[in-house]
Amino acid sequence: MATATPHSPTGAPVDPPKLDYTPQAIPLPEPTPAEDRTRKHYLNHDTSLLGWIFTVDHKRIGLMYLVGVSLFFVAGAIAVGLVRTNLITPTGAILELDQYNKAFTAHGTIMLFLFLIPVIPGVLGNYLVPLMIGAKDMAFPKLNLASFYVWAFGALFFMYQLLVGGLDTGWTLYPPYSTKYSHTNVLYAGLGIFITGFSSILTGINIIATIHKMRCPGMTWGRLPLFVWAMYATSVIQLLGTPVLAVTVVMTAVEKLFGVGIFDPKLGGDPLLFQHMFWFYSHPAVYIMILPGMGVINEVLTCFSRKNIFGYAAVAWSSVGIAVVGFLVWGHHMFLAGQGYYLAMVFAFLTMLVAVPSAIKVFNWTATLYGGVISYQAPMIFAIGFIVLFTIGGLTGLFLGTMGTDIHLHDTYFVIAHFHYTMVGGMMFAWQAGLHFWWPKMTGRMYSDFWSRLAAIVMLVGFALTFLPQFVVGYMGMPRRYPNYPDEYQLYNVMSTAAAYIQGIGYAMPVFYLTASLFFGKRAGNNPYKATGLEWMVPSPPDAHNFPATPTVYFGPYEYGVPDGLSIVDKMNGHTNGVHTNGAAKQGVTSGS
Amino acid sequence: MYAVMDTPPFLPPQASEFAFSDASIESMVLSYDSLFWYMVVVTSIGGLAVYALLTYCCFRFAKSDTHTKPLRILGSNKLEVIWTLSPLLFFLSFFVYGARVWDKAISIPKEAAEQEYMVVGKQWMWKVQDPDGRRHINEITLCQGVAVKVTGTSEDVIHDFGVPAFRSKFDVVPGRYTAAWYKPTLVGQYHLFCDQYCGMGHSQMVGKVNVLSPEDFQQYKDGLYRTAQAQRTWAGGQMPKGPLDGSPAWQGMILFRKLQCNGCHFTQAADDPTPPKAPSLENLWMSKRELNDGRTVLGDRDYIRNAIRNPALQVRSGWKAIMPAYHSGLATEEDINNLTAYIRSLKPGDLPNRVERTPTPIGGAPKASQGEPNPKPEQPMKKEGDK
Repeated sequence: MATATPHSPTGAPVDPPKLDYTPQAIPLPEPTPAEDRTRKHYLNHDTSLLGWIFTVDHKRIGLMYLVGVSLFFVAGAIAVGLVRTNLITPTGAILELDQYNKAFTAHGTIMLFLFLIPVIPGVLGNYLVPLMIGAKDMAFPKLNLASFYVWAFGALFFMYQLLVGGLDTGWTLYPPYSTKYSHTNVLYAGLGIFITGFSSILTGINIIATIHKMRCPGMTWGRLPLFVWAMYATSVIQLLGTPVLAVTVVMTAVEKLFGVGIFDPKLGGDPLLFQHMFWFYSHPAVYIMILPGMGVINEVLTCFSRKNIFGYAAVAWSSVGIAVVGFLVWGHHMFLAGQGYYLAMVFAFLTMLVAVPSAIKVFNWTATLYGGVISYQAPMIFAIGFIVLFTIGGLTGLFLGTMGTDIHLHDTYFVIAHFHYTMVGGMMFAWQAGLHFWWPKMTGRMYSDFWSRLAAIVMLVGFALTFLPQFVVGYMGMPRRYPNYPDEYQLYNVMSTAAAYIQGIGYAMPVFYLTASLFFGKRAGNNPYKATGLEWMVPSPPDAHNFPATPTVYFGPYEYGVPDGLSIVDKMNGHTNGVHTNGAAKQGVTSGS
Repeated sequence: MYAVMDTPPFLPPQASEFAFSDASIESMVLSYDSLFWYMVVVTSIGGLAVYALLTYCCFRFAKSDTHTKPLRILGSNKLEVIWTLSPLLFFLSFFVYGARVWDKAISIPKEAAEQEYMVVGKQWMWKVQDPDGRRHINEITLCQGVAVKVTGTSEDVIHDFGVPAFRSKFDVVPGRYTAAWYKPTLVGQYHLFCDQYCGMGHSQMVGKVNVLSPEDFQQYKDGLYRTAQAQRTWAGGQMPKGPLDGSPAWQGMILFRKLQCNGCHFTQAADDPTPPKAPSLENLWMSKRELNDGRTVLGDRDYIRNAIRNPALQVRSGWKAIMPAYHSGLATEEDINNLTAYIRSLKPGDLPNRVERTPTPIGGAPKASQGEPNPKPEQPMKKEGDK
């Protein structure tokens, strides 16, 4: 018989909270409004500048990432605004040829290296992984801070090369163009990629170590929230893939600086070597970008449909499957580059295999909604948008991974549309879903329900209309990276640009209502969405050290449905019921099938 | 000879056997568009099934006053197996089918290998050499129904020789040779793109693929194609005086009418009351030209170019400075070369009258900058417009 919970002020038996869901651990009591105003939490316990600069608090570091990646998102968005505006007319509306090339290169490099790769691992990964597993902080808090500053330092090189004239190689940096023929700032950009890569590696190490060593009692692998599983898979890719990119960049620099023939055939090198090495990282890198997003979707869908995830084990292992097989498919970027016949066959075959785990996830998400009680706040609209758009992104990827169809579609707007459907329709929507879902936890304030839903719908409509025409114009043959194009493609480009402006409005809206929520938003309370995860068991914003005492986890992460007697209340009072005995719960059988 | 499906305007033309051919069951099945549309149908069915389920769940299970109790469902191993294996099955069908089509695309037939076009990519142009040795820039001319091989390499960076109408594309890599083959089936003029980013002029590295009928192609090989084109251009109209051979002078003659030079520089026709507004250009070449500021200049290349680019600077004595300046947007340097050749060729009586126009050939007017009608005016280009 549990005499008292740690949170009972008098030691008397706690009046069991009436919950219609089962949290993973015993929730802390809600602070009263008076307490809430004076409460010390991670944001206000030390407000000095040094307290932020030298903080090792994973939550503060997460917020610093949030500010950083948001700024770079704006920079990348401005670049693409120039690109899309230029494409209104077939001869280029506003930019010269070289300006256009620099604009799309800036868009690609900034969005990939400074936004998509760090955004969810850096912000939500940092912020949530320790909270979700019941830890006080990351395994290596100082390393965590270092990885932020390394990233910021690398980003400085990107900014510097933009200021001194930009880069015009495309984010792919293919030699011999990049090593010999481009007269732009390849070296600075390469340095930026090299340094931000180290940040990625350090974050990966930290998250892997944290998940292995810092889980609270009862937090078995089978009870980890699926976001944590996704972060784990992502970190493995970051750790194993990024060094190869660093090596590639160094080789490029050596060739450029010292004329050592590595890639340039005139010096005895082989340009395909670069492509193999580059894609060995850069294909898994798309999974670095999308896997954390998929993790977010699991959390949001279950919460807003009040359901257990359908097939916990399948979703968790499909993340691992993507991470492993994703390393073996890089050659599908090079079908037409002159790699060998049988090599292409192997890559095409493995590409079909790597598509399966993504399909499994989509099916499981859809099945999760079955039998739920679904409410449509902004995070849920973003999450549903994610499923809708990612399905298109994934299915069109098959056309590019199939050897026959890739011949015609390679390097056309079909490719552009495909990866924007996965990277923006998928990742960007998952990021918005996650940001809106955990914003009350991070800031303690609720944002406007109306404006957030409207923004979600504007983004969804704007996005779909921007990139659907690009599938058509790509199949017609319009090559990517073309500032000038034949007249018959103009209609599609005008449609695309018009919708891109709508999308831009959608992205601008959260800036206003999220900022406004900080000042005028109503207080969120511990758990505004009645979610089950550990991060919701503590007040919002959380204390500096997350939990007053290490929590104990009794259940799986998504016990929203209430079976007979399975409830934290029973656990508090020592009751057990049915198959879900204490022992069974400890073995982690409350989730999965 | 080849029955070709009509394609709607938002789809690229199917101009090669690989793109689509219904000559035999095998060639139909192994053509690009068959594979593409097979995949479109399968993925659409799969995608729509997911959407249908999603829509059903979103509406059926939306929270309401009466619907407040969720079910507790943890999963189903049976379903997991079904939706792991069934997509895998279709994905593998894409792989096998796609590999067969790929195999067809890269297995160059013997007869194609005998007709080898050489392509060299260079920032930012395509240099093409026919099997019989003639060279072209940004233009490749093929014969309908004749399979050819195109072998490419690059002088500098990686390019990509892409012809959407043929559903064909291959990277052109410095230091090695890569190749593709085509069997064009549809007469017309199609886009040639560089598909691999190659620097500032990437989007300028475009050209034309001409597919000629076998008769036209024979004339092309004999060097008579332009003459034949010229005759066709004026078929049905009055044959003009002047060259008819596809020479620069011939192209200049077309331009002269197109730019409406003969609105002022003309030979007064017997029934035309309007006198010329500008001096005759006959006998101009290398003659002494008296200007109204008293100078005398030689009627050479420089004079003609200046007279077009900046006419007010040297007005012929006795005439007013009414001619507009033709900047490079109206007449390129190549155009001026051709106009000069035409003016040089003019004999007394050759200058056209005021109303003579270039008859518009069926299938679109020649462009000022090219001065060249479509390869086969009788059959207007169906799919891809002349840029």
